[in-house]
Amino acid sequence: MPPAGIWIDGLVQSCIYMTMAFGMVLVFSILGILNWTHGQFYMLGAFVVYYAVTAAGIPFPLSLLVSGVIVGALGMLVEKFIIERLTGPGYGLLAVTAATMALIFFFEGAAGMAFGLMAKGMATTLPGVLDMGVFSISYQKIAVIIFTLIVMVAMYIVLNRTKIGKAIRATAQQPDAASLYGVNVGWVSLIVMGIGCALAAMAGGIMGPVQSVDPFMGRIPMIMSLLAIVIGGLGSLTGAIVGGIILGLLNSVIAYKISYLSEVVLFVLVIAILLIRPQGLFGAASK
Amino acid sequence: MIIGRLYIDQKSVVPKVVIGVVIALLAIVPLFTTSMVTLSTLISSGIWAVAVMGFILILRTGQFSMGQAAFMAIGGYVSAILTLNLGLSYYWLSFLASGVISGLIAFAIGLIVLRAGGTSFSIITIAFGEIVRIVALNWEDLTHGAAGILVKPPPPINIGNFEINFSLSLVPFYYFMILLVVASALFYWQIDRIRIGGTFRSVAANPVLAEHLGVHLMKYRVIAFTIAGVFTGFAGAYYVTFISVINPLIFDLWKSIQIMMMAIVGGPSLIVGGAIIGSTVLYSLGNYLSQLPVPNVQYVVFGAVVVLVLLFLPKGTGLVDLWGKFWRKVFREPEEYEIPGEFADDEEE
Repeated sequence: MPPAGIWIDGLVQSCIYMTMAFGMVLVFSILGILNWTHGQFYMLGAFVVYYAVTAAGIPFPLSLLVSGVIVGALGMLVEKFIIERLTGPGYGLLAVTAATMALIFFFEGAAGMAFGLMAKGMATTLPGVLDMGVFSISYQKIAVIIFTLIVMVAMYIVLNRTKIGKAIRATAQQPDAASLYGVNVGWVSLIVMGIGCALAAMAGGIMGPVQSVDPFMGRIPMIMSLLAIVIGGLGSLTGAIVGGIILGLLNSVIAYKISYLSEVVLFVLVIAILLIRPQGLFGAASK
Repeated sequence: MIIGRLYIDQKSVVPKVVIGVVIALLAIVPLFTTSMVTLSTLISSGIWAVAVMGFILILRTGQFSMGQAAFMAIGGYVSAILTLNLGLSYYWLSFLASGVISGLIAFAIGLIVLRAGGTSFSIITIAFGEIVRIVALNWEDLTHGAAGILVKPPPPINIGNFEINFSLSLVPFYYFMILLVVASALFYWQIDRIRIGGTFRSVAANPVLAEHLGVHLMKYRVIAFTIAGVFTGFAGAYYVTFISVINPLIFDLWKSIQIMMMAIVGGPSLIVGGAIIGSTVLYSLGNYLSQLPVPNVQYVVFGAVVVLVLLFLPKGTGLVDLWGKFWRKVFREPEEYEIPGEFADDEEE
């Protein structure tokens, strides 16, 4: 049995994968495409938080919100000027997939040019360790877990209790019928893209103190949350959450057992799940 | 619908005479210049073109493989490891083995992953690329880890009194590249023209209808993926021979995406033409950009170029379609056909 610290690390990773996978699935359910640039919004969010805290002196929780707003607005711009224009009639899935994948490197390169390639540490934010007797946990990791809880509860409330949440769910089910009932599908897409990107940015910001901030930090979370989506089933919010938890905990525990090949084991696991259920754990049966 | 565009009738775009002239011109390039820069740009472009053709073939079946560089890595490692352990005289054997093993791995992966298809397939292939990189980095006994393996050029070939020596100049590399590109181009071209090419397209255009007409979707997806795996393996093996080293960093996610970008910029509607145009244009551009003193400028420019091509060229058809339009406008009547009707946007529907 691995020590408690390993489980906590796994839980922290799970939280991040979960938040990112949740945003991706939300975007997928409305726009019908995966936003492959999600990991780069995570990276940009971490950079915004880094500069807000170190250069502008904004307190950490507030700078998380700032990064959510800024990167969310960036995501909306991407939706408005690229994704929307590439999803019209006559365009296939190819165009928009290729465009968002190209943006991965556009953002990474731009971040490298603007902020430099060196990893930046911000470990001094939220210093301190909570000693619980048998194990101890740093405040940074507690912050990640609390942040994820807040985000999940907030998303639950937004999706289930508010008018915009109703519009989002209606659009996800039946875009045409929703627009007949007065839902502006274009606006809903825009808002959902903004929410998804803001979630990714805040996840990156909250992870900033735990790891270091560099232009390529988004890749592993991106791939992991993509795999979480595959495990959970494409288009299922529950699946994204469960997949994120499974992957984060397993990654940490397996890495504890066999050090470096944990990603390979995870990959084999994902393949095995696909072998049994090609549509993922929570995905609808293939039609 | 995955590929929402016209398919271009190859015959109407570029007549055989023009292709012949281009090949003839390429064949005599070394007579005019043996400069390192020109030749190595052309060689690398050609090798990437072979990889891009594989990508476009998979795209023909409606799947979007984001791990093609992983197959180049597999091919490269197989050939490098075999020549290291068996000796240099087995170079051509290990070259063949690289394609075969890469194809086998593609077959095995495809058999499982193509069942999920669509977006799941893209995700799994992107993860597969990372996995290959991680394995190559950590399996030090076999792959020598991050340090990589130095690859020696193939042994000299003696034909009568005439010796082809790969270690003296780039010219033999150049001609072998032409051989590789022409061989795979002919293969892909034929595949695209005969019945199976049509089946591939039907699988992409309307999977439901194709299945009702008795097309086994999985079978054709796996066939396309395997063929692409074989040729991409060859390309990888030859690429590492050319740059004379392989390490885990050479074929990373960026290279997989680069293959996709070359396909997009060149135009995925033509397997051979699009691949060659796209890889030549983008590789030359990248070569130029990498000499600039600005770090990462290549990422930014490539990303911007792809987005701009998608936004502003008609329906994201790439450069080859522009060329086709120009050719038709100047020389002959339009002769294009469209797959009738707007199919469902999503194959799940």
